[in-house]
Amino acid sequence: MSSSQEIRLHGRGGQGGVTCAKILAAMYARLGLSVQTFGDYAGERSGAPIRAYTRISDQPITNRNKVYEPDSILVLDPTLIGPELLSGLKPGGALLINSPEPPEAFAERYPDHRIGVVDATGIARKHGIGTRSLVIVNTTIAGAFARMQDLSLELLEETYTSLGFHSNYDAGKEAFDSVWIREALEGGAAQEEAPGQEQPAPAKVIDSIQEHRESLPPLLKTGSWKTQHPIYVENLAPCNAWCPAGNDVVGFIQSVAAGEVDQAAQILATTTPFPGVCGRVCPAPCMEGCNRTEYDGSVQIRGLERWISDREGNPKPDIETPATKRSIGIIGSGPAGLSAAYTLALKGHEAHVYEGEDELGGVLRTGIPSYRLPREVIDREIGNILELGVEAHMGSFFCSTDLEELAKKHDALILSTGLQQLRELDLPGKSLSGVEQGIHFLHRVNLEKPDAMSGHVVVLGGGNTALDCARSALRSGASKVTIAYRRTRAEMPAIREEIEEAIEEGIEIQLQRQPIAFVGTDRVEALRLAEVDMGDPDESGRRRPVVSDRELTIECDHVLLALGQSTDKSPLPETWTLDGEHVQTGDEALRVYASGDIATGEGTVTHAIGNGRRVAHLALQALGEDVVVFERPDRARSVPMTDIRLDHFERRAQNSEQHLDAEARSRHFDEVNQGLVDCGEAHRCFSCGHCTRCDTCLVYCPEGIVRRDADSYRVDYSYCKGCGICVEECPRKAMEMTT
Amino acid sequence: MTLEPALGGMAQTDQDRCDPLLRAGNTNCGGCGMSVGLNLLSHALETRKIQMVIPACCGIVTAGPYPWSAYGAPVVASTFASAAAVATGLACAARINGDPTRVICWAGDGGTYDIGMATLSAAAERNEDILYICYDNEIYGNTGGQRSSATPLGARTSTTPRGKTQQKKDILAIMAAHRIPYAASLSLGHPEDAMRKMNKALDMTGFRFLHILAPCPTGWKSEPAEGIELVRNAVQSGLYPILEIEDGIRYTLNIEPSMSDEDLQNYFEKQGRFRKENYDLAVIRKHIDEHWQLIRSRIR
Amino acid sequence: MSMELLSANHAAATATILAGEANRDARGFGCGVYPITPQTECIEKLCRHEFTKGEVVRVESEHSAMAVCMGFVLSGARSFTASASNGLAYMVENVYNVALYRVPMVMMAANRTLGPPWNIWVDHGDALLLRDSGWIQFFCEDNQEVLDTTLLAYRLAEDHRILLPVLVNQDAFVLSHTMMQTDVPDQALVDAFLPDLDLPHRITDVPVTIGGLDFPHETEVHRRQHAEAMDRVPDVLAECEDAFEDIFGRRLPGPIVPYRMEDAEMCLISMGTTASTVREVVDREREKGRRVGSLRLRMFRPFPIAPMQQALAQCTRIGVLDRNISLGLGGITWPEIMATVPRDALVQNYMIGLGGGDIRPQDIQGIVDDLWKREQSESPKIVEVG
Repeated sequence: MSSSQEIRLHGRGGQGGVTCAKILAAMYARLGLSVQTFGDYAGERSGAPIRAYTRISDQPITNRNKVYEPDSILVLDPTLIGPELLSGLKPGGALLINSPEPPEAFAERYPDHRIGVVDATGIARKHGIGTRSLVIVNTTIAGAFARMQDLSLELLEETYTSLGFHSNYDAGKEAFDSVWIREALEGGAAQEEAPGQEQPAPAKVIDSIQEHRESLPPLLKTGSWKTQHPIYVENLAPCNAWCPAGNDVVGFIQSVAAGEVDQAAQILATTTPFPGVCGRVCPAPCMEGCNRTEYDGSVQIRGLERWISDREGNPKPDIETPATKRSIGIIGSGPAGLSAAYTLALKGHEAHVYEGEDELGGVLRTGIPSYRLPREVIDREIGNILELGVEAHMGSFFCSTDLEELAKKHDALILSTGLQQLRELDLPGKSLSGVEQGIHFLHRVNLEKPDAMSGHVVVLGGGNTALDCARSALRSGASKVTIAYRRTRAEMPAIREEIEEAIEEGIEIQLQRQPIAFVGTDRVEALRLAEVDMGDPDESGRRRPVVSDRELTIECDHVLLALGQSTDKSPLPETWTLDGEHVQTGDEALRVYASGDIATGEGTVTHAIGNGRRVAHLALQALGEDVVVFERPDRARSVPMTDIRLDHFERRAQNSEQHLDAEARSRHFDEVNQGLVDCGEAHRCFSCGHCTRCDTCLVYCPEGIVRRDADSYRVDYSYCKGCGICVEECPRKAMEMTT
Repeated sequence: MTLEPALGGMAQTDQDRCDPLLRAGNTNCGGCGMSVGLNLLSHALETRKIQMVIPACCGIVTAGPYPWSAYGAPVVASTFASAAAVATGLACAARINGDPTRVICWAGDGGTYDIGMATLSAAAERNEDILYICYDNEIYGNTGGQRSSATPLGARTSTTPRGKTQQKKDILAIMAAHRIPYAASLSLGHPEDAMRKMNKALDMTGFRFLHILAPCPTGWKSEPAEGIELVRNAVQSGLYPILEIEDGIRYTLNIEPSMSDEDLQNYFEKQGRFRKENYDLAVIRKHIDEHWQLIRSRIR
Repeated sequence: MSMELLSANHAAATATILAGEANRDARGFGCGVYPITPQTECIEKLCRHEFTKGEVVRVESEHSAMAVCMGFVLSGARSFTASASNGLAYMVENVYNVALYRVPMVMMAANRTLGPPWNIWVDHGDALLLRDSGWIQFFCEDNQEVLDTTLLAYRLAEDHRILLPVLVNQDAFVLSHTMMQTDVPDQALVDAFLPDLDLPHRITDVPVTIGGLDFPHETEVHRRQHAEAMDRVPDVLAECEDAFEDIFGRRLPGPIVPYRMEDAEMCLISMGTTASTVREVVDREREKGRRVGSLRLRMFRPFPIAPMQQALAQCTRIGVLDRNISLGLGGITWPEIMATVPRDALVQNYMIGLGGGDIRPQDIQGIVDDLWKREQSESPKIVEVG
């Protein structure tokens, strides 16, 4: 009685099906049996369905036909499973499937067969066998088959070694150990796919001469070859991730690039009422994050924002109509408060802004000099907010009881009073005339009239306020202005361009200087400073200043303190406690929120705008409104530079903004920065993570099956072979491969 | 360097062929560089009429089984060595009949550097009105990956299991030596330059030769997705000079490579056909430098 | 018509020029040519001619010559080339290609011994190398037949029922370089005889791939279609011969050329010019009262089985004269002819004139004498003629 078995393998060109059949044969040959193994060969290539066969017998094998009624079938690619694949499989025959799917599904489908399921692709991929788009699974699945056939691991290893595949043995062993096996069920239900014994009738072959005149595109749907496919995605651009206001930076830049400046302005208007302000005074973290920075300099994003705003102003977005109109009070009309008001107004709610000064704007008006931010820009942008129906209540100063009343009057209350508490300097001579808070100086300069300054003005500090004070002092008549800062230039928090412009204007910056006393009798006459050495970094990462005993004295007529500000909680009811953006009484959350610097202390207009919007959302959400609360995106999730295909971009230096000549500008308050000459910067944008319809995927697709479709592209998956070139070549990571 | 949109956005517009030269459903491997080249050619053709001759190679197998055709243009499959000769017949017949069709040979490196060399050389010498395009995947891909005279030094193939010990032929110099009107190499990683050359070659008369380094993920044992980047590595490292030669004497360099060793290293390390024990980058760098000395000496 | 003193090389070239010109109002004429002794004179004559619409491409090899012809014909032009011996051997791949693509063209072979050692003289082994290539093959006996058969070949090849290439053979030197009076028809008559080439599968702008992949079943069908076209040759050939006669006033012999076969007891079968010498010996034998006949195999492919059977029906002694050898078997035509002879006939194969030896009447006489006295056949014999 002879014993023999026939095995048929189904795989794809390149997966190693023929070699797999050979491995099976080699194992049995080592057991002393006669074997025969062969593959089907055709013109199709990597990825195309192929079959391979192995015969095993204890008698000499003389059968030269293909295997039509196999005892076992190995499926190297689960996408090949279908009636034709199972054709002729004997009842009780074995079916080994490579699939990451739960094995039970197959088990249920094929009750008549002995089923093995193994994630050979996963195992082979883990062991690095093949390429991403074509994992070679033959040596892996052979291990699982050995287990199904009760062959030993020793035999498997000997066979791999003899064939020169020893490096793949671990993958084979893992499959041997992990294959899921279920015996054929007695009296199982009839198969879903009746094995198709009948061969389909061969198609009529046309006359090679007389009929071969017609254009006949191929019938082959090569899409069945793929194991992964490309999709279009929108990935987070670093500029968007870095923008504290949550502006769609890449969106507005690409609109400009497309010549749609009005649309760019609309995009900005969805997140900020202050493009004209931010386009001038934002420290532009977006530009730090910009992937172009390391290539040839960041895109001049701030300049573009201003360029848009200067041309388009503030378009009025659509105002929603809420089911219930809420009334929300906002204390303080700085950028946080007005951003909250703007957000609420766009959502169709009532926003009441309470402001102590006579004009809205808070720090925009009081803190930022007009040579940086012209008053008409502030007036225009605030005017737009008011046009949306925001109600302003001027001259409103509040005590704690008033606040409690207001909290009752409105559905919610938002506190956005900024940083009112100024840092003092407790040094000898601090009360001398001529020593004052820079903020107070700026307040006078900005709100009242240019303050007369004279002589040598020393400004203490390194932030934007310090720079504003110094440059305003110069413009107010000071003969000389010096900034003294205790750390190095690199650590100055001020906007880099501001520092550069100040130096251009003749302002001296003395670094690593710690004030130790103001000298004078009535009036300040000099400032004593100690030299500072830079020590080890502190928790903020900045090097710690170490004050030395080396001293120096500079004569001066005025000293302006610009040492920073902090929250002034004095007007709040005693029972209220601030917890970030939330205000509580004991454990009870109030419908009172804190927004802007009072909540975050982040200190920039742009941060305040983002937080104002966020807190408005929080307030509405607490009121049961359906809003998505603005969260600043995770910068770590943004498209890294390494994902940008730089070959697609020419190196081109940044277009700088135009500035008034240093000599001419430093004696008056005219706007220094005249902005960008044109919007060419928009064309430098990589558009990280955002498809620009650059056609690269379309041009590089080897199959030519990427078609333009509305605003994007469509891949014809019925032909896509899953090679991944489109994804790899996408200049901006707006595509990815997925299984 | 790609300008956006690529190819000036002409793909899939009225300027473009409505039936692509290489149709979907062809049987080339995923990520085939030849396919990318055919698509570029398809765009370059615009509405021009062509007839193609493709010798027995991957290029003809991809057409698929009779009677269907993966080509959107009439194609004659020639014997392996005969592409330029069959094309001679077609091109002469077109000329004596005043047909506007352009005749294009699309042949691999085996059909160009090796078995078809005599035929190619003769057709070039006769200055037949043929555009001959060699998609060079540096291997006999159709037969499963054997060495050709285009296989680079160090590459392992099924017939050079210890790495090839010879450099590949300088096919462009060979063709230039025929003093044909136009010979150029083009980079799939630089589609604008490639398209310009294809257009230029299509509009000229006489024998024109284009050389395309065509990644073969199967033969190169590389990631199918990374083929175009490999071409850029080859260009930037200096391994694959991108130039054009008119009348065999006027050389123009189209891409000034950075001669970067990083690109060279990437090119070798990202391909399984190269194994460290079979090549020495210093030697390859020396060959590159020598080749470039020669090229630069010819550029006026 | 004019009577010219032409070599068979020039007869073939002359016919080709006439045929090429006859297609001038259609897609013209074009060919690839490459020299090899003894056909070089033929292609030289083509190169001297300036076609009204045509091109003779001087290529670098026989392999390319055939490929160029294929390109011309697939583009609708009439085509021709000539070769011999090792040139044909080098060309073989494309010879097959042309036939399997059903490219109707004509080739002249000046049959020459395959080397090495190098031998330029007549032997049919070169053309018989192409026995299974799918070409129609004629072996001619004189210069006029070469010219006429070449013209006829175009009409036969291009007939839509056939669409196959035709090889017109002539013996090296004995014909190729031998000049005899040859009747050259006027162009107008040739124009009337040869309609414009209308190739159904000519490549135009329609995107079809001529010669992609065939799977086994497609090949089975295509081979059957090819074989059926071969089967149609005798009838179409007869029509062509009728038309030829109508226009030129003379008739070409058919697939086989019997001589004094009516009551022949003995028959000598040969191809090419050998038959001329055989006929001389037949006459001498007849004078002696012996019933001897000659049968010339003029069309080797398709093999004229039925006419042969009919012609040989009453023969009891048959000598098969092969000017070629299939080493390890015998003459190449012998086993094929064996399939057509009466069951009880004595058939002996003689390989004579290998390498171009001059086959004289006494050599043939020796064969006749051998055959008369023979009681049974033996294995194929090489007859050395010195």
